[in-house]
Amino acid sequence: MRAYLIFVLRRFVQFLAVLFLAITAVFFITHLTPNDPVEQTLARINSGMANSPEVVAEMRRTLTELYGLQGSLWEQYVEYWQRMARGDLGPSLSAFPAPVTSLVARAAPWTAGLLVTSTVIAWTLGNLLGGLAGYYRQNRLLKAAEIAAMGLQPIPYYVLAFVLLILFGYVWPILPITGAYVMNRDLSFSLSLVLDVLRHSILPAVSLILVGIGGWFIGMRALVSNLVTEDYVLYAELGGVDRGRILRSYVMRNALMPQITGLAMNLGAIFSGTVITEEVYGYPGMGKLLVDGVNSGDYSLVLGVAVMSILGVAAAVFLVDILYPLLDPRVRLG
Amino acid sequence: MRTMRLFALALGAMLVSASALADDFLAGIPRKDVLIVENPEGTIKNPSWFNVWVPGTGGGWSTGLHQLAMDTFWYIDPEKGLDGAIDSSLASGPPEYNSDFTQMTVKLRDGIKWSDGVDFTADDVVFTVQEQIQHPGMTWSAPFAANVDTVTATDPHTVVFKLKAANSRFHAIFSVRWFGAWIMPKHIFEKVADPLKFDFNPPVGLGAYKLHSFDPNGNWYIWELRDDWKNSSMSMRFGQPKVKYVAYVYLGPPEKRSIEQANHNLDIIHDNTPEGILNLMKTSKSEHSWFEGFPYAHPDPTLPMVIFNDQNPKFQDPAVRWALTLMIDIKQVAMASYRGAATISAIASPPTGIANDVYEKPMQGWLKAFEIDTGKRKFKPYDPNVGKEIADSLRPSLGDAIPSAPDAIAKAIGYGWWKHDVKAAGELMEKAGYHKQDGKWVDKDGKPFTVELTVEDNARSVMTRAGSMIVQNWKAAGVDAKTVVVQNPFVNAFRPGTFEAGIGWSIETWGGHPDLSFFLLSWESQFVAKAGEPQPERNWQRWQNPELDQIIEAVKKIGFDDPKGTELGIQFMKLMVREMPIIPLMSYNVETSMDDTYWTGYPSIKNPYTNPVPNWANSRYMMERIQPKS
Repeated sequence: MRAYLIFVLRRFVQFLAVLFLAITAVFFITHLTPNDPVEQTLARINSGMANSPEVVAEMRRTLTELYGLQGSLWEQYVEYWQRMARGDLGPSLSAFPAPVTSLVARAAPWTAGLLVTSTVIAWTLGNLLGGLAGYYRQNRLLKAAEIAAMGLQPIPYYVLAFVLLILFGYVWPILPITGAYVMNRDLSFSLSLVLDVLRHSILPAVSLILVGIGGWFIGMRALVSNLVTEDYVLYAELGGVDRGRILRSYVMRNALMPQITGLAMNLGAIFSGTVITEEVYGYPGMGKLLVDGVNSGDYSLVLGVAVMSILGVAAAVFLVDILYPLLDPRVRLG
Repeated sequence: MRTMRLFALALGAMLVSASALADDFLAGIPRKDVLIVENPEGTIKNPSWFNVWVPGTGGGWSTGLHQLAMDTFWYIDPEKGLDGAIDSSLASGPPEYNSDFTQMTVKLRDGIKWSDGVDFTADDVVFTVQEQIQHPGMTWSAPFAANVDTVTATDPHTVVFKLKAANSRFHAIFSVRWFGAWIMPKHIFEKVADPLKFDFNPPVGLGAYKLHSFDPNGNWYIWELRDDWKNSSMSMRFGQPKVKYVAYVYLGPPEKRSIEQANHNLDIIHDNTPEGILNLMKTSKSEHSWFEGFPYAHPDPTLPMVIFNDQNPKFQDPAVRWALTLMIDIKQVAMASYRGAATISAIASPPTGIANDVYEKPMQGWLKAFEIDTGKRKFKPYDPNVGKEIADSLRPSLGDAIPSAPDAIAKAIGYGWWKHDVKAAGELMEKAGYHKQDGKWVDKDGKPFTVELTVEDNARSVMTRAGSMIVQNWKAAGVDAKTVVVQNPFVNAFRPGTFEAGIGWSIETWGGHPDLSFFLLSWESQFVAKAGEPQPERNWQRWQNPELDQIIEAVKKIGFDDPKGTELGIQFMKLMVREMPIIPLMSYNVETSMDDTYWTGYPSIKNPYTNPVPNWANSRYMMERIQPKS
């Protein structure tokens, strides 16, 4: 037990180091962007009215002061960590003075809801079908599923997303193609809201599942194909163990370990959102927030989304690391 | 397998029931009562922020807020307007200046109320100006602080501005082109400690509509006609709007806008793609646009152009600028950019609104006679037949959609443009000291003449395609040219001056008025930044010229409606032709698409009562003429 606790502590220190280095790197990279939030705001104001250049210069000065961008990069970096220690990601520079935390808090549930559901469904279906296809290699239906999975895998996601959108939004218009709910929807909890949200999530979720399923399918099939040639599987078959039991308890269970790691990594990465899904389907979420932040030079917002993503991935890796020895006795704690 | 089948069945049943029970597109309001309009601003990042007097807040403007709820003294429509292009809105008449333009008096209309029932008075105007001067960082703080010495309400309906210096265009701040300085409700803001942090939710406005509901995720806003619409400056004069609800919605990529309009879920698309509008026109009987035929789009009073960075030594010789102009085949550019649906302009004026009558048409004789010296001969560069030739080339594929009468062609496609004459261009290059080596233009030291043309990413794909075509033309003529893609080049290339040449615009006019002050006053030589320093709007070409400064000085000394303004405008156009500091291309054609399944009475070239482009604040006048189809 002591060895395990030392192992956890080491991994936790690594986790903190990863957080510090990654956030530092992202801070400096985002601040090097040529997009300047002050200039973006100036462009917006002055595109619609005739201001003299002196007036524009005065606007620039006051906005720089208002956004708190006067200090050196180093001073801003120190201030950022001070704020981070208080759980404050600072104000958004393109939605000033709204705090980044409020923008992230608004977007994160939508991204999490859509991505967790679609990732888990894709993972479950992909592994199940891949496992079956690897074990029952002569089954025609599973062969067809394999061809479909391999056929879908290389299609660029945006192409698939638009094909679905055109098929079910235009050719046979039975599904909504924009947003997470209809206009004028009361968002207090009700059955109609749940149904509405479900209906709006069908196309984005199906698009993600269709592209996600192939990878899991192919990976699992390959793992199972290797495992079925193992001695203990052959021995079980010769010993007359039920084939279903062999598949469930001897093959799939062993093959699932790397797939669980992959699932954890995927779930950890959901906080960076799915940029294309959210853009194509107008779905509110972190991906859209990230793109908006980049386009408007809002490095405060970009940094906020990046921090969430770094936290998610680093936490997922940390959890997988500390759980692995408990799940797989072959892992050594040296 | 059994479990899987059960799971699949349950999932299918859930999805079917979700589809069957859910509303189609809109909950709680009958579709026939709502005009659904695209908001091109995208998803609003800070949806509950309605304080337009603070910039950069992530709150939306063209969510209906500035079209339907805000108001100010005057509106200048790019088209004819409901009662003339210039509409005195909160003001009861035009601005009254003293003789030396150091004082402006504004008389206000009587009987106007805020949407919460409080009377609108001159005190609101005084408060608007003083509050913003006292709080630097508000949207109009700097222009007010720079111009206003004192502002006083001499009675509840009269405001007097004493200016710090003579300014014959001070009223422009309160004149809506795209927007203007909106008046603040004093009774709300005087109770607010820090207006820079006040979200103004729900907004209290002077327009005929009030906020009904909005998406907390920023994709839609719905506005409802006020019960007391008669107390708004617009509807007290033009009558009750027939549109009860107006929804502004963001739908995402252009393909989706077309799909939703084809499904009749979107009444007005702000700016479709040329391909999108062509397809809708072919497939949907309920589809309308500004022109019934080609080019369909509304020409905005904005002039896309090739902007030279005139501080770059390469472009300081007018002969080079003219050479690059004559290398361009505008017909190819029109086809590449708008699929032919461009409205071309050879002069420094967007060919739209009143400009056709006061600048384009009267200058045709001068343009035909205009000569340049190529160094080897006198050359007349103007080709008056380009518009007709574009029309002729489009007619075989688009038939009756292409106008045939010369006046109609001139309005829709444009008059003429500069000849595509590579020989004359070559003579001008030689005059500027270049010569050809292995088919490429090089300077006297053998160094290739290169041009990098900055174009925007796919945010304005039409302009990007125009730039790509121009680079092809330049390459074909022996110039080592290439495109450089920059996201938002106005902010990231033109302002810092880190570009050689680019596709953009530095000329925007009122559209409905010949006065050029909207852009011209910022072109004074004294405002040109040093190389390496940011250039303020709008002289992105950083061009300085003594004759230009004389014209600007003369414009500043005359009133807005002085007929001398047009004469000075023509003088400016001639100077621009001689010097060619930018290459004018075409108007910014906005492919506004309108579906008349639920609503009729949209503005069009036949009924040009306002600009149809729905993110302009003056699009509010559409609500006075749009009617239910039934």
